[in-house]
Amino acid sequence: MNFELTEQQKLVRRSVRKFAEEVLAPVAPTFDREAKYNGYIVKELSKVNLFGIQLPEKYGGADLDSISYAITIEEISRICASTGLMLSVHNSVGAYPIYNWGTEEQKERYLPDIATGKKISGFSWTEPNAGSDAQGIECIMVQKGNDFVLNGSKIFVTNGAIGSVILIGTRYKTNDGQNGIATIILEKDMEGYEIGQPEDKMGVRGNITTSLYFNNIRVPKENILGSLNDGFRIAMQTLDVGRIGIAAQALGIAQAAYEHSVEYSKGRIQFKRPISQFQGISFKLAEMSTKIDAARLLIYRAAFMKDTKKRFSKESAMCKYYASKIARQVTQEAIQIHGGYGYMKDLPLERYYRDAKVTEIYEGTSEIMKLIIAQQILRGNL
Amino acid sequence: MLKIFVLIKQVPSLHNLQIDKQTGTLIREGVENIINPDDLYGLELGLSLKEQYGGEITAITMGPPQAEFALRECLSMGVDKSLLITDEQFAYSDTLQTTLVLKETFHKIKDYDIIITGSQTSDSSTGQIPFQLSEALDIPLITDIFTMEIENNIFKCHRNFGHESQNISVELPILIRVRRHFNEPRHISLSGIKRAFEKEIEFNDFNTFNCPEYLDGCNKSPTNVVKTEKIVIKRKNEIIEGNFNEKVQKLLKIMQEHGIERIWTGDMI
Ligand SMILES: Cc1cc2nc3c(=O)[nH]c(=O)nc-3n(C[C@H](O)[C@H](O)[C@H](O)COP(=O)(O)OP(=O)(O)OC[C@H]3O[C@@H](n4cnc5c(N)ncnc54)[C@H](O)[C@@H]3O)c2cc1C
Repeated sequence: MNFELTEQQKLVRRSVRKFAEEVLAPVAPTFDREAKYNGYIVKELSKVNLFGIQLPEKYGGADLDSISYAITIEEISRICASTGLMLSVHNSVGAYPIYNWGTEEQKERYLPDIATGKKISGFSWTEPNAGSDAQGIECIMVQKGNDFVLNGSKIFVTNGAIGSVILIGTRYKTNDGQNGIATIILEKDMEGYEIGQPEDKMGVRGNITTSLYFNNIRVPKENILGSLNDGFRIAMQTLDVGRIGIAAQALGIAQAAYEHSVEYSKGRIQFKRPISQFQGISFKLAEMSTKIDAARLLIYRAAFMKDTKKRFSKESAMCKYYASKIARQVTQEAIQIHGGYGYMKDLPLERYYRDAKVTEIYEGTSEIMKLIIAQQILRGNL
Repeated sequence: MLKIFVLIKQVPSLHNLQIDKQTGTLIREGVENIINPDDLYGLELGLSLKEQYGGEITAITMGPPQAEFALRECLSMGVDKSLLITDEQFAYSDTLQTTLVLKETFHKIKDYDIIITGSQTSDSSTGQIPFQLSEALDIPLITDIFTMEIENNIFKCHRNFGHESQNISVELPILIRVRRHFNEPRHISLSGIKRAFEKEIEFNDFNTFNCPEYLDGCNKSPTNVVKTEKIVIKRKNEIIEGNFNEKVQKLLKIMQEHGIERIWTGDMI
C-alpha cells in the first residue's frame, strides 16, 4: 500500500492550483456576488483542457486517472466552488455516461465538442415531484413512428443556462406497449426545449441553476443512451461516479476554509498573543485537519476502486457523505475562528460556508447516501 | 528546421524559504521545488517561436536527479524534448563550471539555432550564465528584446533598454536572455501532463563528455562562498516639518542625497 501521489498526480495538483490561483481567484468573488458566469472563463478552462479531464485523447481529452480527476476538482473548488461544480457535473455526469454507454456514433458526435468545452454538458433528473425518489420522475416520451415525443419539465439543473448537451431521465411508452425509464441526450437547440429563469441560490451562485421545459420535443432513437429500459441503472451508476467529484468539491471548499483559518489564527492577536496559542482555537485546527485528511483518503480510495474496476457504490456514497458533512463543519468553524470578520462579505469565509452546504444535498442528499451505504452493508458488503 | 533550446533551473520555492544558520546556505530539504520563475518567460518565448516558425524545442537543465520533475513540467507545457545533465561530480559547480558543462553540451549537440535563458535564478541571482555561455560558444547574446522576427536564418529584433532603443539583425545561432514579464507564460494543460510522462528524458552525466577532468564542478569551481549573511534593512520614518514649500524643498534635498537625480523641477504650485 502506498499513500504517495504519483509524480504525474503531483504535477496535476501543482498545475491546476496555479491555474486556479491565477485565473479563477480574481473572479470567484464576483461570480458569487453577481450570480453571473463570465463566458471568457470557459475559454480559459478550455485552454488547459479542464472539460475533458478523463476522456481519451482520441476525443480530445486529457485521459487522466480518477485520482487526478478528484485532485483537479478539489483544486478548482478550493478557489471557486461554482466552477468546481460546473466542471464536476460536466466531466462526470455529463461526459462520462456518453463515453461509457454511448454508441461510437454518439461518442463521435458529442465528445469532441464536450472535451473542448464548446458544448457544456449536464445531467438532469430532478423534477418538482421527484427528488430523492428518483424513480418518481414524470417526464414522458411516447413513441411516434421511429421517434419519440417528449413532454415534461426538470428543475434545479446545474449548467442549465450554459449547457447545450443535457442528459435527462424520462419515462417512455413504445408502440407495442412497453414502458420504463430511459436516459436520453437532449440538445439545447431542439425544437420545444426551453430554459427557465435562473434560481436565486444560497451558494454556488456562480453556477446558474435553471429549470428546463420540454414541449413536444421530437427525440430520435439515436438520442437514447444505452438500451431503452436501462435508463435508471445508467443514472445510478453515473451518480456513483459523480459523487467522487462532488466530494472533491466539498473537500476543496473545506481546504480553503482551513488554510485561511490557520493563517488568520497565527496573525490575530488577542490577550497579547496569537489566538492560535489558545487551545480552544488550536484544537479546532487539529479537528479540521483530521477531518479533511480523512475525507481526502475516502475520496482517493473511491477513485482508486473505480480505476481498478471494482464496485464502488458504497465507497463513493461514503466519501460524498463524509466530505460534504465535514465541509459544512469546517467552513462553519472557520467563521468562528475569524470571529466577526469571518461573518463579513469582505472575507471569503461566509461564501465557503454557503457553498459547502449544498454538497450535502445534490447528487443525493446525505440521508440518501446513508441509505445506500446501509443497503450495501445489510446486503453483506460489510 | 529551427532548433530551439531553453535553459531552465529547478529552484526552491521562495514561499517558506529558510537558511541554515550554521552553513549559511539554503535549506533545500522538504522545500517545494519549482521552475525558476524567470525561466518561464524563456519557455514561453521558445514555445511561441516554435508555434510561429516551426521547429523543435528542447529544455535543458543541469541539476540533481529530482530536477527531472522540472523537465516534466517543461514537457507538459509543450516542449518536445528534454535533457538532464546530472552527476555528483557536477554538484557545487559555480556559474563558470556550469557554463563549461553547458558549452560542452552544445558542442556535442552541434546543431542549434536559438538558446534561450531567463535573466537570473531566484536561488542565487547571479545572472551570469547567459553572458558567460555566449562568450564560451562565441555566439551573439541578445538581451532586452521587445519585438522580433526570423527570416532566412536572420534574427531581427527591436531592443529597448533605459532610454535607448535599437533595431538589430543578426545571423543565427544566437543566445537570447529574455527579460522578466516579457510575455505571459502559458499554464500547463491537463492533456500535456499525460504526454509529458510518456516521453523519455535524456540524461548526460560526467562520463558523457570527452574531457571530464576540467568539468569537475566539485573541485574545479573557482568561486568560494566565504560567508553568507542575512541583511536586515530597517525601515525608518522621518517626518518632514514645515509649510508646504519647505516640505517640498526638504524632500527634494533628501531625494538628491539618496542619488535620486531625475526629479521634476517645474513649477511646484
Ligand atoms: C444547487 C443545486 C443544483 C442541483 N443540480 C442538479 C442537477 O444538475 N441535476 C439534477 O438532477 N438534480 C440537481 N439538483 C437536485 C438535487 O439532486 C435534489 O435537490 C436532491 O436530490 C434532493 O431532492 P429534493 O430537493 O426533491 O428533496 P427531497 O427528496 O424532497 O428531500 C427532502 C428531505 O427528505 C429527505 N429524504 C427523502 N427521502 C428520504 C428517505 N427515504 N429517507 C430519509 N430521508 C429522506 C432528504 O434527505 C431531505 O432531507 C440540484 C440541487 C441544487 C440545490
